[in-house]
Order: sequence, then structure tokens, then C-alpha cells
Amino acid sequence: MADKTFIVRIKRQQRPDESVRWEEYELRYRPHMNVIICLRDIAEKPFTRSGVESTPVSYDANCLEEVCGACAMLINGTARQACTALVDDLEKPIRLEPLTKFPLVRDLVVDRSKMFEDLKRTHCWIPIDGTYDIGEGPRMAPSVQEKGYPLSRCITCGNCLEVCPKVNQRDPFVGAAIVSQVRLFNMHPTGAMHSAERLEALMLPGGIADCDNAQNCVKACPKGIPLTESLAAVNGQVLVHAVKSWLRGE
Amino acid sequence: MTQPKIIVVGGGLAGLMATIRVAESGIPVDLFSIVPVKRSHSVCAQGGINAAKNLKGEGDSTWKHFDDTIYGGDFLANQPLVKGMCEAAPAIIDLLDRMGVMFNRTPEGLLDFRRFGGTLYNRTAFAGATTGQQLLYALDEQVRRFESEDKVKKFEGWTFLSVVLDDGGVCRGICGMDLRTMEIRTFPCDAAIFCTGGIGVVFGRSTNSVVCTGSAQSALFQQGVYYANGEFIQVHPTAIPGEDKCRLMSESARGEGGRVWVPKQAGDKRAGKDIPENERFYFLEDWYPKYGNLVPRDVATRAIHKIVFEMKMGLVGEPAVYLDVTHIPRETLDRKLEGILEIYEKFVGVDPREEPMKVFPAMHYTMGGLWVDNQNQATNVPGIYAAGECEYQYHGANRLGANSLVSCIYGGMLAGPAAVRYARGLESGCENVPGAIFERERVRQQDITDALLNQHKGTENPITIWREMGDIMTENVTVIRYNANLQKTLVKLDELSERFTRINLQDRTQWANQTLNFVRELGNMLILARVITMGALARNETRGAHYKPDFPERDDANWLKTTKASYNDGNIQLEYEPVDTSLLQPRERKYTAKA
Amino acid sequence: MPAAAPESKTGYILDKLQSLSGVVPIGAYLVDHLWSNSYALVSIEKYNQVSGELQTVPWRIGVEAAVLWIPLLFHSLYGMYIWSRGKSNALSHPWMSNWMYVLQRWTGLLAFVFIGWHLYTERFGGHGVTRYAGVAQDMTNPWYVIAYLVGVTACSFHLGNGLWNFACKWGIAITPKAQHAAAWFGAAVGVGCTLAGIVVVLGFHYAWFPLGGYVQ
Repeated sequence: MADKTFIVRIKRQQRPDESVRWEEYELRYRPHMNVIICLRDIAEKPFTRSGVESTPVSYDANCLEEVCGACAMLINGTARQACTALVDDLEKPIRLEPLTKFPLVRDLVVDRSKMFEDLKRTHCWIPIDGTYDIGEGPRMAPSVQEKGYPLSRCITCGNCLEVCPKVNQRDPFVGAAIVSQVRLFNMHPTGAMHSAERLEALMLPGGIADCDNAQNCVKACPKGIPLTESLAAVNGQVLVHAVKSWLRGE
Repeated sequence: MTQPKIIVVGGGLAGLMATIRVAESGIPVDLFSIVPVKRSHSVCAQGGINAAKNLKGEGDSTWKHFDDTIYGGDFLANQPLVKGMCEAAPAIIDLLDRMGVMFNRTPEGLLDFRRFGGTLYNRTAFAGATTGQQLLYALDEQVRRFESEDKVKKFEGWTFLSVVLDDGGVCRGICGMDLRTMEIRTFPCDAAIFCTGGIGVVFGRSTNSVVCTGSAQSALFQQGVYYANGEFIQVHPTAIPGEDKCRLMSESARGEGGRVWVPKQAGDKRAGKDIPENERFYFLEDWYPKYGNLVPRDVATRAIHKIVFEMKMGLVGEPAVYLDVTHIPRETLDRKLEGILEIYEKFVGVDPREEPMKVFPAMHYTMGGLWVDNQNQATNVPGIYAAGECEYQYHGANRLGANSLVSCIYGGMLAGPAAVRYARGLESGCENVPGAIFERERVRQQDITDALLNQHKGTENPITIWREMGDIMTENVTVIRYNANLQKTLVKLDELSERFTRINLQDRTQWANQTLNFVRELGNMLILARVITMGALARNETRGAHYKPDFPERDDANWLKTTKASYNDGNIQLEYEPVDTSLLQPRERKYTAKA
Repeated sequence: MPAAAPESKTGYILDKLQSLSGVVPIGAYLVDHLWSNSYALVSIEKYNQVSGELQTVPWRIGVEAAVLWIPLLFHSLYGMYIWSRGKSNALSHPWMSNWMYVLQRWTGLLAFVFIGWHLYTERFGGHGVTRYAGVAQDMTNPWYVIAYLVGVTACSFHLGNGLWNFACKWGIAITPKAQHAAAWFGAAVGVGCTLAGIVVVLGFHYAWFPLGGYVQ
């Protein structure tokens, strides 16, 4: 009996300045395959469907349990993590493309350093005095922890930026993930002492005002983070901060 | 000398902590990582982090934490550092709390603690089901803050190839490869701290991440750093087997009544749920009537291994057994096990409430690693330090649950300042080292890469060699070890190493060539696989995770000693050094009493 | 936030003003406008009286410019600038809220064109001072009726959906539940305005006074 097979179509680009080509691979089906396994199969036999020798596909992946954020790509047009994209659930042929909102590196690899830079600009950290032993941290109500924990699960995958109509080459919008992190740090007792720096940063170009409430982000988030809630909450915080500073003449 | 220069390789918990400590002392750090540090393997740790804060009125103490750790590790760990770690743990938790980790809270707003394996105390602080991720992020944020102050420079997307050693054998820098431009470059430094994690990828399928190849450790080993206790590998009994990786299925599934079984008839092709009760073999309940499915981890792991590999009674098509919770009422499952059942559903695409889960033991943690001294996390090569899972201290022959995160952070806390002290004490810094020393190393590495790129007659596929290595390592060098099989493994590794010389790179481009990097890692993995196997072959006893049916007892008279592997001109040699047991007298480890 | 972008908060302030101006005064004016025009459903006299009063306010030009034309022009032009910065993707990500994002932009453009034409014909064009007869005369033209129906619907949708956006963007509706409620409120306003507008237009077209029962 012949093995069951299926087709994977991959958008490939050797370098950012080289032309795009689509390649088709015919892979042997096994139960519980995910897209990562497909890409490994191709690496082991990098011959296209028509028998032409190609190269293994470049892609980012690390933890393979949807907690590191590395393997985001467009799978059948949907921005998602490749590790949780099961072949059984996908329409065939499976179409793989790199995320479009980040500079392309090669094949399915893009450069998401913008997100890490934006975390820097928005001061997404708790400014501690030092790592020496100066006793316990501030007390925190369990209800605050229950709100904060889901936000702190953001894996910086970039799917929320990919689907946002306001994140593109024309607009420097930081995107929902970063705004949600600002909310997280403003929530923490120590972080709250420095919320003004973060809110100020979000008033600059690319800041919170760029959100136009298409609410795609929350639907694309693999971790179910309440991103639209974060956007609204931080919108309110920035506004109150802006009005207060204005009234005080700061 | 002028300002010292420190390099940290690896951006997981240990590497970030070391970076923070060095930056805090005012010395600039270059931080190298294959992946953006926020994507390091530390994110995968779920359960929690141990610290005897005794907030539950149980009379817990750091001494008891120390005792549990040494006992759990079957007395193979050097005791003073472990004691130091346990004593530092409460302050480490406080520090993480101050950094903003969203630890679970008590109604009073204090940190909540839960109980974990290997102890009687509620000693484990946790942040939901993703404690490692939360801890890594907290440290990542602190490093980002230093980065914004220009105290840390990150080199993300660089892989470590080798250290630059001067003619006196002192580390003067590192040699790395940019994974985008494929440029090979040397970076001078006065001390380098390695925090490069575990080696799960050597075993093919493990619970480790893709980057956990052990390539850096192997490269250092080949340059003269000792590799200690390589044979100690922790296997978790119930993971969800996947072709790409194995994902943990928490013990709580069995705690809530889950049963482990296989069909009585080997090769039974029916779906699990269609096999009638009287045709199922509940082997744990049958073999261990007293504890049933809740036998300790190592016993369960060994039993499953025996069923699949020795009795050939595993499920059809894949090495696995059933972990069955379908008999438990759905509402109980949703209330108590929802989080972990969702993982199964998400990755396997099958509802474990309806069908038995297919699980199998998986390589999980590397107790062994780079040899470091008893005080400073310093290796035997001057200027090279190591911390975290890549070194061998703290866990002895078996790691206690929720001790890994604390050991990584503690190791980083020690390594940073130790490296600074060493660098400050140098008579002459790396800036005075002749450029030829660096160029020599760069050319050596460039030649290796060029040889791979220019080999056009290769026939061997790197993924195939890796799979074969992983398969034989998993079969013979994880749970149950027979000397005959270990010897066969060494023969197989010889064969693979020989085939490796005929590798076909497939991708000869000079831009983001992931195959090239993987092949270089694979070469290093093959050597590490040999170190592990040789260590296991030599150690004729059973201790912790190292189990030899032919030598079923712990043998303190002959084997209460640390394995130290060294590398000389392609030959691996084993030597041994005594374990520091100055604080606790070794006593018999009777897990049966703990079940 | 690339280095080239000016590190200024002007954009934030303009964005907030654009958003605010859509609610107050423009949105409020739309509701008021539909209200005063609803007198056309009562009687010709009542309509002429109400519109006459509105058209004889002191400093009319100044008042209209301040509360209407300038906010309207700013809201529209800056809105188009915002639009130009976005890149719709509702075809590849066809979620409801994403379609609303697209519709908000297109209805904004439609409303802009319609209001411009409406001002030209009713305010600055032929009549100058609007009387029932003049409007009713225009509304005999079926193309006028169609244009009004489309225009009023676009304005109403834009306001209703805009109120929802406003609630989210000003941090008024934060939780999903509150945002859901705000969406329903916006929808109610949008549908209410659309219905009122349609009835008024049809009232003029058919010389129909359904609300005139109480007037003697």
C-alpha cells in the first residue's frame, strides 16, 4: 500500500534582496505531525515535488511547546506558531509563508528585534535597586496576581503585530504586545512608581494612539492574553496622565 | 590593566543572572545567545522554584532543603555548594519577587508555596504553570534595562564555536559565528562564563528545546575543559511522545487516578478505547501492587522502558504506553487537570477525556556537565566559568523537582562576581594579547566551516545521522543500561562519526544557513554522546538516574566519586575525583519508603 | 518608533482630538440635526419654525465654523491621514471587528463626501435658508433620496461604531464585557440614527407626517 502523502507549499527567499519563489514538497503523512516535523522532513530530503534538489528551509523554532515564541509564521494565511499547527487540522495543500510585518531574513525567518527594542523604549522592567539581599518584595493582592499573570505569559511571537492593520512599514506602532507589557509593569507595586516613564513613551510616535481598535490582536494571540483589555486600560492610563500633566503644566 | 571585559555565552536563567551580576559591578558584558535570550530553554520549566522560606508553619529549614537535595541526588553532589545554594534560595526568591515575577499569592499577599516531589514540605514557589518562563522574563527585563544603559551588549543570533586560548592555555576570548551573515569572528575577553544549558538534543527526542545540543560544552571539552558526571541523565516517566520533541505530562494525572497500561496482546492494532478491560495489562499495578501507578519516577520510567524495549509490548507504531484518565468523570478532569490535558489536546489533537493518552519516558535533564570547582564556578581552564544546567554541581546523580531553577540562578550569581575577581586579578588583560592568537583561532574555525562548505561529494544526511544517534542513545543510554549495549552504542557512534566525515551539507549558501550550524553542532554532539556512553559504561553500580540491572546496588566503596572526562588529541579519558561529603554522611536511599 | 520620527507628543494630541471631535461636537451635532429634522415628521409649520430658529442664531457663521465646519474638516482630513497609515487586511483576517475597522474608514469617506454635498446644496447652494418646501422639492428626485439614504446610513454607522471605538480608545470600556456593552450601545445609536434619518428622508419624499397626530 502506498503511503498517504500531502503537499506543503513554501514561500522561499534566499536573501532579503533576492526574488521570491514558491516550492512544493510532497511529504509522507504520519499521525500527529505538526508543521515543524514537515520542515524537518524537508531538511532530510530537500527535493521538491518535481524532484529538483533544493536546500533545507530556514525557519525559527526552539521550545516546540508554544512557550518560547520563536516559530511564528503564516500557515494557510493565519499568523500562528508552527509547533501547535497540526497537519491533521490544516487544509491541504499547506501553505507556509514568513510573517510580513517584520524584515525578512531568509525563507520563514524574520527579524523581530523591533519588539525587543520597543520593550526597551517603553521601560518594560521593574527598576530594582540591586540583586543583593534586601529582603522581601512588596506584598501583592492575589487579585492583582491573577490579572498580571496572564499578561506576563506573552511570548513576543509577533502574531498580534502581524494581524494589526496599523503595524506596517508606514506606521511605527509598537503593537498590542508591548502595550500589554506596559500595563503589566504599571500594575506591579514597584513598577507603578515609574508608570509615568512608560506612559510618556506611549505618547510618542508609534505609541498607543496608533491603535485603531480593529481588535485583531486578541484573536491572533496564541496565549489568549486579553490584549484589547490591555489596550483600553493603557489608553485610559495615558489619557489620565496626559490630562494631569497638562493641568499641572508639566 | 584597564577595565576588564567579560563575555557571557547563553541567555537562559544562569546566563542572565551572571550578566546582571557582572553589569551591576560596573563592568561591561557582551552577552551571546543563539536565540533571542527571551526564547531560551528556561521558559519550559513549569513547576516552580524551591526555597525553604518556611511560610507555612511547617518547620522547614534550609538544612532540610539541603538534606533532601543531597539525598535525592544519591550523595553524588559535592555538599558545600549545595548547602550554599539552599541557604541562598530564600533570598533568591525575594529577589525574583522584587523583580516583578507574578508568583502565586496567599490571601495575605505573601508568596504561596506548594509541595513537590522528594520532600515533605511546601517549599516550591510558583507562577501559574510557567514558572521558568516567568523567571526568565524577569531576568531578561533586568538585562534589557542594563542594555538600555549600555552596560550590556547583546549578540543574539550568534553561535559559540570555541574559546581563544593563548600559548599558556588561558582563555583570552571566544570565537563565534553570526547565524545570519555566517561571519566567523573572535571577541577578546578576560573571562568567559558559559551558561549553555542541557544536552537533550543528543538524545534526539527529549523534553529539551532545539538549541539544547550541548555543542558549546563539547567544544569546550575538546579544548581542555573537563566534563563531569556525563552519565547522569534524568528521564521523566510520562511525556507525550512527539516526532519533534517530547512534552511533559505532569505526574498529577496519575495522582488523580490515571492508570498506565498496554494491550495484553503485543501488536494489538485496535484503538485504545476499543480494547476491553480484560485485554489490558496494567503493568505498574501488577508489578507494584502496593504503590500501583504512583510508584516513584525512576521505577515508573524503568518499568515502561522494560515493557517497550525488553518485552516489546509497546503500542503499535510507536514506543509508548497508555496513560488513561478516561474512567475519571469529565467534570473531575476539567476541575483538576484541565491545564495539562489541554497541552495534550493542543499538541496531539486528541481529547484525553475520550481516549487514553500515549506517553513515554523522555530525556529531561542533564545532571552532568562542565567540571567546575567547589567555590567559584570556575572550570579547570583559567578564564572559563560555567553555570546552570551545562555544569555538573548541585544535583548529584538525580535532580530534585523544582531545584533546577534555583541552581541556575545561584550558579549565575556566583559565576559573575567570580569572573570579575579573576579578571581584575589578571596581570595582563586581553587587550595585550597579540592579534595573531585571535587570528589563529578564527582561521582554525573558518577552515572547519570551509571544509564543510566545500565538500561536494558528501552522501550522508545530517538529520539522518542525528536521528540514528538519538535513537541509539535513547535506547541504550537513558533508563536501563547494560554494558553490552553501551559497547554497541560506542561502536555505532564510531560508525556515525565516520559517516559524519562524508556529510552532505545540502545548503552551501553564506546567508542564514541553518544546516551549516546544525552540522557543526552535530559534530560536537557525537563527541558528547561518546563521553556520556563511556561514563555510563565505566560506572558499574546503580546510583540515582544511572541504573544497571547487572549492578543493582549503589557501591560507595568504589563509586562514590565524580567522573571527569578529558580530551586529548581525539581520545577521551576518564578519571575520577572524590565527592565532598563533609556535611552529610551518605546513607541508603530508600525511595520505596517515600511513595 | 524609528529614530527619524520626531519624538513629539503632537501626534498623540491630534489623535485624541480627532477621536474626541467625532463624538463632540460632530456626533452630538448629528443627533441634534436628526432631532430637529424630525420636526419634518410633525408638520410643515413646526419644521419651518424650528429650522428658522436654528438659521437665525446670532453670529451664525462663527458658531457654525467653530462647532461644525472646523471640527468636521479636522476630523475628516486627519482621519484620512490616519487611514493612510493603516493597511487593511480584512480579506486575510476576516474577523467581524476587522471588517468594522474597514467599514469605519469607508463610511467616513462616504460621510465626508455626502456632508460636503449636503452642505453645498442645503447650506451654501440654492436655498441659503432651508424651508420645508425647498427640501421636499429636492426629495422628489429619486437620486437625491438614494444619496440621502446612503449618506445618512454611512454617517450613522460611522457614529455608532465610532462611539464604540471611543469607549475603547479613551479607556472607558476596558474589560471585554464593558467593550461588548459599549459595542451594543454604539450599535443602538447607529441603528437609531439610521432609522430616524431614513424616516425623515421618506417623510420629505412622500410628504408624510406620521408624528403629526398631536398637532392641531
